[in-house]
Amino acid sequence: MANLVIENVKKRYGQNEILKGINISIETGEFLILVGPSGCGKSTLMNSIAGLEEVSDGRIMIDGQDVTFASPKDRDIAMVFQSYALYPNMTVAENISFGLEMRKVPKEEREKEVSRVADMLQIGHLLKRKPAQLSGGQRQRVAMGRALARRPKMYLFDEPLSNLDAKLRVEMRTEIKKLHQKLGTTIVYVTHDQIEAMTLADRIAVMKDGEVQQLGTPQEIYDDPANLFVAGFMGSPAMNFIPAQVVEQNGVCALSLKTQSNVVLPFPKPDALSGHLGQTVLLGLRPEMITEPQPHKEGLEFVVKADIEVEVTEPMGADTMIVTRIENAEVNCRSNPAYSAQPGDTIAMMFDTSKAVVFDCETEERLDK
Amino acid sequence: MTTKSANSGSGMTQSRRPARLSLADWMPKLVMAPTVITTIVCIYGYMIWTAVLSFTNSRMLPTYKFVGTAQYERLFENDRWLVALSNLGVFGGLFILICLFLGVMLAIFLDQKIRAEGAIRTIYLYPMAISFIVTGTAWKWLLNPTNGIEKMMIEFGFEDFKFNWLSDPDMVVYCLVIAAVWQASGFVMALFLAGLRGVDGEMIKAAQLDGAGIFTTYRRIILPSLKPVFFSALVILSHIAIKSFDLVASLTNGGPGYSSDLPANFMYTHAFNRSQMGLGSASAMVMLGCVLAILIPYLYSELRGERHE
Amino acid sequence: MSNIAKRQTSTLDKVLRVALYVTLLAMAFVYLAPFIVMLLTSLKDVEEIRTGTLLSLPASLDFYAWGKAWSGACTGGTCEGIAPYFLNSFQIVIPAVLISTIVGALNGYVISHWKFRGSNFFFAALLLGCFIPFQVILLPMAKTLGWLGVANTTSGLVFVHVVYGVAFTTLFFRNFYQAVPAELVKAARLDGAGFFTIFYRIILPISTPIIVVTIIWQFTQIWNDFLFGVAFSGFDTQPVTVALNNLVNTSFGGKEYNVDMAAAIIAALPTLLVYVLAGKYFVRGLTAGAVKG
Repeated sequence: MANLVIENVKKRYGQNEILKGINISIETGEFLILVGPSGCGKSTLMNSIAGLEEVSDGRIMIDGQDVTFASPKDRDIAMVFQSYALYPNMTVAENISFGLEMRKVPKEEREKEVSRVADMLQIGHLLKRKPAQLSGGQRQRVAMGRALARRPKMYLFDEPLSNLDAKLRVEMRTEIKKLHQKLGTTIVYVTHDQIEAMTLADRIAVMKDGEVQQLGTPQEIYDDPANLFVAGFMGSPAMNFIPAQVVEQNGVCALSLKTQSNVVLPFPKPDALSGHLGQTVLLGLRPEMITEPQPHKEGLEFVVKADIEVEVTEPMGADTMIVTRIENAEVNCRSNPAYSAQPGDTIAMMFDTSKAVVFDCETEERLDK
Repeated sequence: MTTKSANSGSGMTQSRRPARLSLADWMPKLVMAPTVITTIVCIYGYMIWTAVLSFTNSRMLPTYKFVGTAQYERLFENDRWLVALSNLGVFGGLFILICLFLGVMLAIFLDQKIRAEGAIRTIYLYPMAISFIVTGTAWKWLLNPTNGIEKMMIEFGFEDFKFNWLSDPDMVVYCLVIAAVWQASGFVMALFLAGLRGVDGEMIKAAQLDGAGIFTTYRRIILPSLKPVFFSALVILSHIAIKSFDLVASLTNGGPGYSSDLPANFMYTHAFNRSQMGLGSASAMVMLGCVLAILIPYLYSELRGERHE
Repeated sequence: MSNIAKRQTSTLDKVLRVALYVTLLAMAFVYLAPFIVMLLTSLKDVEEIRTGTLLSLPASLDFYAWGKAWSGACTGGTCEGIAPYFLNSFQIVIPAVLISTIVGALNGYVISHWKFRGSNFFFAALLLGCFIPFQVILLPMAKTLGWLGVANTTSGLVFVHVVYGVAFTTLFFRNFYQAVPAELVKAARLDGAGFFTIFYRIILPISTPIIVVTIIWQFTQIWNDFLFGVAFSGFDTQPVTVALNNLVNTSFGGKEYNVDMAAAIIAALPTLLVYVLAGKYFVRGLTAGAVKG
């Protein structure tokens, strides 16, 4: 078990800078998720931690030891790959014990370790099979077993669930979380799936274009995104971004936007808006903050009712998404399925701005930090 | 291992790469080293060496008295070389065209869910497994002006049948074409058949739903998608043609006279049998030029395509 | 459904189908004919050859020509048949194939999984080397072999075949290993395996198909070689192709076509056998060389 410190890590391929100075530091036992769109550098960063790619600049410390130029085998790290990378010519048992064999662990101990891991992951009945004879989910388990067998200081997971079907993915997600709780080992986990990121992580690093956009707990990232990119990337359906004008109401700044009629929404941090009076900003409001009128929220400080015109409805079972258009921006609202609405209807909705955030239209940075 | 770089102004700590690399880091390079050396020396070095020789008046032994382009001038005044070059034009052109035509045709025919396709394919391709020397020997007998095909046709009742190309200086080059096509057309067939099997089945279904008949489907949809195969075949066939040496040696030995010589045979004869090293080198360089003229555009487009992936 | 069934059995389709089969079988005969003629001729005696035609059957099976081709025919200077040269060919082919295959496998492994600065450039340079006309290297190579003291020897020929065969074997293995996921090697490195351990334990066990393809390709190429054989072999180290050519072109006494044909079949036999037994791999080698991965 180990803590991980990444300091100013850069990676260049010729003129191309893939990592532009990454700084991340996590504690022993933390579950860190690197998330971002493809090409953001998250896999390169992962490979750098593993020692599979050499960094151009900066340093990486594991457990207080500088491992920047250590070879992969000396870092005591295990990795689970997206493609599982099981050795096709070896049986499951051989796959699991290969790393131990390379570390010259005696045969009896290896066998003991294999059966321990097999029990933990319930793959005991598969030990004599070859990877080609396994289903996707079974391969995934074997890949994890291979990582577990060595009891390394740290685990790296490189999009381990993206090749599974939806149902299995959810199952394995829970399994990984349980495993982490049981083992308490440091985990770095790469994914592009923001739900995986939210559900698994102790801390999330949202990356884009080789830079960490924000590093924080899932709730921080969700509620308090650093910029428009982070806000739009985390959450499904994504946060609504509605162009709104900063106006003055009762002596404090508020946001005016045009639904079916003009509405003025109060804002929790009006002072942050004072410099932008008269300008248009982007109001970030999560879908669950625009709902059907709910009696218990009536009269709360940051709750305002307004009429909208329904464009499309998307029943999702537990909720129904109502899609409307405000100032030419598509806006998703999460409503109770019982609240019936038809396309073309004009209905009343409740806007709750208590957790709203605002962004600069140009720089896309948060204005109310 | 780490130093604080106070002077750099960044204040960041920076790890230094260990100066001494372990053997493991060198292993890949070490493993490649022999091949790198032989490639540099035995391919590119020798190429330059031959180029240098082609500018000298070396005869039996290499001498390094430079005579400028005199050997090239001699080469292009040499009737035998000019015959060899024009033979290469006729031979190469016909060989490539007929092979492509036969290969594409047989591949399409074989692609029609033919019974015993495997056996037929095996028969079309087996000549590719044998040496050009064997091919030449066999066809030398088949094309024998008195005892070969001519005699057989006369026995069949075609009294006036004449087939003496092998001893006719004007026609002998076509004998080379026949034998070479026999040997290599099956290969083109195999290339195209593999290409046809790789064509996206859904694309063909879509074309048929669009109302295209089988001929239209081949002409407009399938064959155009085999352009890369076509280019590969073209490059390989021209390469075979330019390098052709053994077939001439065994089928005609360049004769009658030197009427069926190809550049490769000219080079060999002059460099090894006639002690005309300078002239032989010059002819080899011209051959290299021909190959590069075909190859470089091809490799360029191939490698560029790869980078796009 | 019934529509389709009807269309498939229309008369035009039937006629076309018959024509298709006739064409294919006729072409098959054309490709087979030279071999049939060789075989028939090799079984006739000289008299029969003179009186009969190419395709006339021999009156009786006469293996005289085969015996003479094997151990009595004159090839240039000596009259020992092609048997010694047949063995020469094996002595050249076996080490050359083995060495070039091993070197190619290691090269392909490095180029696809242990890339270093310039390894791709080098691969391109090597690839170009596949295509040069060997006439360009004949004279310098002859000089080099002389310096190394292996001119006209079997080892010299093995060396030449390895040097110029490695380009192809590397290409084969590189294309094959390119399809092996990089993650496999990464996983093994994290597991603590080194360069050779990964090759030996992980990569080699999954390489059987490409090893077979490469060995067959190299065997066919080197067995069938004539240019290097004629340029670099000595009198008693000639490969069988050179001996065959000498035999056929020796105008010593009357021309014995039956012996020529028997010798030609003998010279072709090993590669033909390989082709018949492992044709699938042979074709894969041919197309792998052409359609790059």
